[in-house]
Amino acid sequence: MTSGALIFQSVILGLLLGGLYALLASGLTLYFGIMRVVMIAHSAFLILAAYLAWWSQTRLGVDPLLSLVVTVPLFFAAGVLLQRGLLSRLRPATLTMMSVLLTFAIAVIIEGLLGYAFTGTQRRIQLGYGTANLELLGARIAVVKLIAFGLAVAALLTLYLLLKRTTFGWALRATIQHPDAARLVGIDTNRVAGYGFGIGLATAAVGGTALALDTTIYPSLHWHWIGPLMAIIVVGGLGSVPGAAAAAMVLGLTQSLLQIPLNTTWAQTIFYLALFATLAFRPQGFFGGRLAQRF
Amino acid sequence: MPSASDPATTSAARRPAVTPARAARGVLLLLVVVAALSFPSLAPNPYVLSAGILVLNYALLSTSWNFVGGFTGYISLGHGALAGLGAYGTGLLVTKAGLPSFLALLVAALVVAALAVPIGYAALRVRGASFVIVSIALVLVLLLVFQSWASFTGGSRGLTVPRPFPDLLRPEHHRVFWFLFAGLLALALLVWWLIDRSRFGLGLKAIREDEDKAESLGIPTFAYKLVVFVVSAGFTAAAGGLYALWFGDLDPVFQFSILTGSYLVLMALLGGVRSLFGPLLGALVVGTALEYFKVEYGSTPLHLVATGLLLAVVVLFMPDGVLPAVAAGIDRFRPAQQSIREVTAAELREQRAGGAAAETELAGARPGGAPATKEGA
Repeated sequence: MTSGALIFQSVILGLLLGGLYALLASGLTLYFGIMRVVMIAHSAFLILAAYLAWWSQTRLGVDPLLSLVVTVPLFFAAGVLLQRGLLSRLRPATLTMMSVLLTFAIAVIIEGLLGYAFTGTQRRIQLGYGTANLELLGARIAVVKLIAFGLAVAALLTLYLLLKRTTFGWALRATIQHPDAARLVGIDTNRVAGYGFGIGLATAAVGGTALALDTTIYPSLHWHWIGPLMAIIVVGGLGSVPGAAAAAMVLGLTQSLLQIPLNTTWAQTIFYLALFATLAFRPQGFFGGRLAQRF
Repeated sequence: MPSASDPATTSAARRPAVTPARAARGVLLLLVVVAALSFPSLAPNPYVLSAGILVLNYALLSTSWNFVGGFTGYISLGHGALAGLGAYGTGLLVTKAGLPSFLALLVAALVVAALAVPIGYAALRVRGASFVIVSIALVLVLLLVFQSWASFTGGSRGLTVPRPFPDLLRPEHHRVFWFLFAGLLALALLVWWLIDRSRFGLGLKAIREDEDKAESLGIPTFAYKLVVFVVSAGFTAAAGGLYALWFGDLDPVFQFSILTGSYLVLMALLGGVRSLFGPLLGALVVGTALEYFKVEYGSTPLHLVATGLLLAVVVLFMPDGVLPAVAAGIDRFRPAQQSIREVTAAELREQRAGGAAAETELAGARPGGAPATKEGA
């Protein structure tokens, strides 16, 4: 029975999910904008953060939200190191292809290490407020999903303010738009690119904690995330943060609504359908600018 | 066949006839062929033979991958999915449509090649990043579909493919399939070699080096990329189909695994994507290592770590393959090579005159030159 309440509930859940997608896709978009890198390991870091949140809750008894205090700076540093130490050493001519392989290798290493350290067993955080629900116009929404959404929105807002209102944000956007010109006006583009990667990876830390709140995690889960995320950044137009956010909301909502008539697995194929359709009919994506035309 | 000792078909006067390097390559090729033909009788037990077939399958897949990866420089992580499609296509055509095994294999390869046209159309219109994304998406979406559509594909329970030769014993079965795989590999290598020497191949390599310049020189880059992608997909699917007929049991988790795709890339990169036998060499090394570790240590997550580390090392330090890396390492200890400007025009003329004289002398010493082709082929 598809009652109005069920559809309403799906819309709410879709929007909540879309928020998380938007946060994670914005990180992927940042990498692509800065260096034309398709960062396959983004979702592996996401799962790593989720594991760290789970670990801090079960072993240390700390609320998973508090693990952010450690994971966000940690991931920022990892992102800077990744860009400065590895990706910037690749040959510029083959950077796009080789960086995919390198980040793929990192993703596989993380998956393997997670499997080694925590075994392949499925893990789930048990929280005091984990089963609490909020009734809203007949829709039941888990409190943890709201917290996850709140985290995503807060992080996205911070990212927006950082990019638009700070000097560093200006420098980062200038580096994305035209690295040579940015260097001419005195921006240290290498350093800015490194910090940009750090910020991108920090979104994975926030996203991972949000994810751990209400999802069962296992080491190979990241493959279920990287596909939808890559579809989102292509549909949104490679390199466009607002495009990625809009595509994330639309696709998240569609996926959630499709779960009513179809099962979860089939609903996920919407991302790939959107990806193929976008590339076949509008390869620059729906919000992409000059940048997306050529990749 | 690519043979070092067949200069006689072209005019021997214009090309250097049998240089030591070409002769060495001819001997090496002969050795490889002899080793391939004699392996089934040398293998001590059926297990070693079946492991050899797995390595051969990797070599075939990696060579098929190299049509796209080597010529155009577009890295596909999704070739595992094309092989899986070929395998499932063959299996389903045999079990559901009742086609004879090898006809089913051919039809499946052609169908996958036809499917590669729309996939390539979406993936290749723009540059590399989209291609990579599509190639990964292909694996993920096909895994979803083949797991969920259980009524047609058997889902997670897998699909059993009947053997093409039901009355053969297992060792005999392995032996037959060894030669089938080797034959298909030889065909793939031959096609790669032909493309490598053709104008088409030149255009593809121009795309690899600089796609903008290639386009401005009038190379129809999109059409070229699409054609070579379809060829690659066809060979990959045929390899997958042959695997289905040999192994007889398909599971979506293994057929549509992104890890398989990455093994192929690793093998080709390690061996060298620019050379004909690079992927074969890489498959020998990586495929053997994979089998060895599976036997010694079983399946642990450390497999993933080792694969990832090896891939990262290859990408960072030897993106052109291990052989060019080793050659560059040896070159360091040699005296620096002279640039052309350090040779005077007079010296150069003398060198050229000497070279031409030696050449004509050589051609004259071997009248006809035809007999030399025979043993090389």
